[in-house]
Formats: sequence, C-alpha cells, structure tokens
Amino acid sequence: MKSIKSYHLLVGVLLIAALFLTGCEGAGHKFVKKTEFKDSDKIVLTFAGPVDEVWATNVANFSCYEKPDPDIVLTIKEAVLSPEKTKLTLIFEAPLNTGEAHILSTTNIMSEGQDMGAALLTVKKLYFGVLMTIFLGAALIKNFVFTKYLGLCVFFGCSQKRSTAIGMGMVFTIVIAFAATMAWALYQFVLKPYQLTFLNIVVFIGLVSLSVQGVDTILRKINPALFKAFGVYLVLVIANCIAIAVPLILADNEYTGWESFSLALGAGIGFLIALFLMACVREKLELAKVPPSFQGLPIAFVTAGLFALAFLGFSGLSIY
Amino acid sequence: MDPALVKLALGGVATLGCIGLFFGIGLAIAAQKFHVEPDPKVEAVLHTLAGAQ
Repeated sequence: MKSIKSYHLLVGVLLIAALFLTGCEGAGHKFVKKTEFKDSDKIVLTFAGPVDEVWATNVANFSCYEKPDPDIVLTIKEAVLSPEKTKLTLIFEAPLNTGEAHILSTTNIMSEGQDMGAALLTVKKLYFGVLMTIFLGAALIKNFVFTKYLGLCVFFGCSQKRSTAIGMGMVFTIVIAFAATMAWALYQFVLKPYQLTFLNIVVFIGLVSLSVQGVDTILRKINPALFKAFGVYLVLVIANCIAIAVPLILADNEYTGWESFSLALGAGIGFLIALFLMACVREKLELAKVPPSFQGLPIAFVTAGLFALAFLGFSGLSIY
Repeated sequence: MDPALVKLALGGVATLGCIGLFFGIGLAIAAQKFHVEPDPKVEAVLHTLAGAQ
C-alpha cells in the first residue's frame, strides 16, 4: 500500500516539474514560433521561417521590458542570428529576472523581403497559472455551449436522460483531448513550418474523425463493456462542432502543447457540465405542465437560454 | 503563374498526402491488431428484423 502511494507522489511531482520545464514558451505573433529565456541574460526567438540578417542583427529594432515595469527598458547588448536564420539570440547587458514575464516588441519583421508585421511578444516562465486560466475559461467563463452556442445539436439530442448525458460528455472529453493534442502537434510542426496554415480546417476535421475512429477501434478490443456503454455517442462526437472549434482556437492563439491540452480538457468538462445540468432540468420538465406549443424542444431552448444567462455570472472569475 | 505559389501548392498536396497516408496506415495497423470477430448471431438477427428504424 505504501509503495503505491509513493509511486503516485513521484508521478505527481514529475508531472508538475514537466509543466514548469515546458513552460518557457508562448509567443504572441504568427511568424514567431517560440520565445524563451536562455542562461541568465539571453532571450531566444524562434521564427517560423528565415528572417533578414540586416533586420535581425540591428539591436535598435527590439525593445524589451519586464511586464510590471513598462517604463524601465532593458538594454540589449547584441543580437546574434543562427546560420539557418530562424533563431535569434538577444544578449542583454544585465542578467534578466526570469521569474517575471517580459514583453518584447519588435519593428516589422522582415522575412525574405516580405513584411510580416510588428510583433509584441511575451517571454514567460511560470506556467501553471496560465494553464488553470485556460482550463477555467473554456469550462465555465467561456463555456462553449452557453456562451458560444456551439455543439447545440448534440447538446439537445443527448440531454434527455442523465445517464446518456454523462456518457456523451465523458466520451467527448476523451476524444477532444486526444484530437486537440494531435492538432497542436500537426499545426506547430507540420502546417506552420511549411506555411500551409490555410489548410488547417481540412486537417483538423480529418484529425477529429481519425481520433474517433481510433478510439472506436481500440476501445472495442480493450474494454468491450465500456464500448457498449458509450455505444452510439462515440460516432456522434464527429457531429459536434466544439470538436472543430477547439483546434481552430488553439491554432489562432498559438497555444503550446500543455495549453492546448488544458483548453481541450476545459472544453470537454464544460460540455459535460452543460449536458448534465440540462439533463437534470429536462428530467424534471417531463413532469411539468408545459403549454402544448412549448412542449419538447422549444422549452429546452428556453431553459438553455436561462442557463446561458446564469453562466454570465462566471465572467469575473479568476483563480491565479 | 508565380513559381513560389506552384511550389506551395505542390508542397501542400504532398504534405497532406503524407499525413493522410501515415494516419491511414496507422489506423489500418490498429484495426488489424485490435481486430474483434463480429458475432454472427447479431448479423442474423438484424437481417430478420424489419430495419425500418
């Protein structure tokens, strides 16, 4: 018993350590893939394509400050471009306070004679708060069903009974977490380097159906009981437009791997919450005296509207 | 036609083709590895039912 406990503790510590270790990224511009601290006095920018050397090595094109102190501009001593022209190292005069988020602004990024626009980049390290914010934002504050009105057909179709609602929500959470992580990897490592981001909708739709098919195949063999319980919902996930909204949002906002995962998890849990709440009300509605013209779907829509109003109450919520 | 655009288009077709091929083979292997014999009774019962719904 004791060995199991220490094993769990180890896994937990490793997971948290991984969170902080991978937390050295998160840019704010389409053409900038990654920003990170290096050593104590360097910031490394990774671009999606080669940049012009004349532009990149001119220190006057960059200005950097700590997020809380915008009036104290840090002096950059030197800018060094790597031979393949995609990695730029900015060397600062004094050591940086890497615990604080830094804001780095650049003039218009020049890449092979093309103007990529000016960038305002964030360089940050501490990460857990960001992940929690994304998770809560997707689950409650910007709940996909109640504030974005996405996934409504599955939402109304599967919210008649509590058991089906929970089943659908769970399957959806698993599939979306799987699909969004893959979508992030494909977007960052295939679509962006080859400048094919205009194809992202096609790729993401394929990924969603792929993960549904994959989960279907594997679950059928590994856990037939669970597969029977999930039944038709697994296939229905493809018809849910939240499954395509999540990859598009994470691509638009240039989320990192962990951020994408927490967005997907938040979307899934948010959908589960929405379905469960709605199913609870609709079970009671079966017994209520509803005017004939409102019976069935119309009263369900009215209820969903009331839920949406109630969810506005979460709009000020923040933990970190 | 701008050669850069042609290159982009051909590259896109090739890249998407590779992705599709990769995942398609992956799914095929998974389907084979996790193959489940369908119960012949299910098929027989379904066949005798009306099948209107």
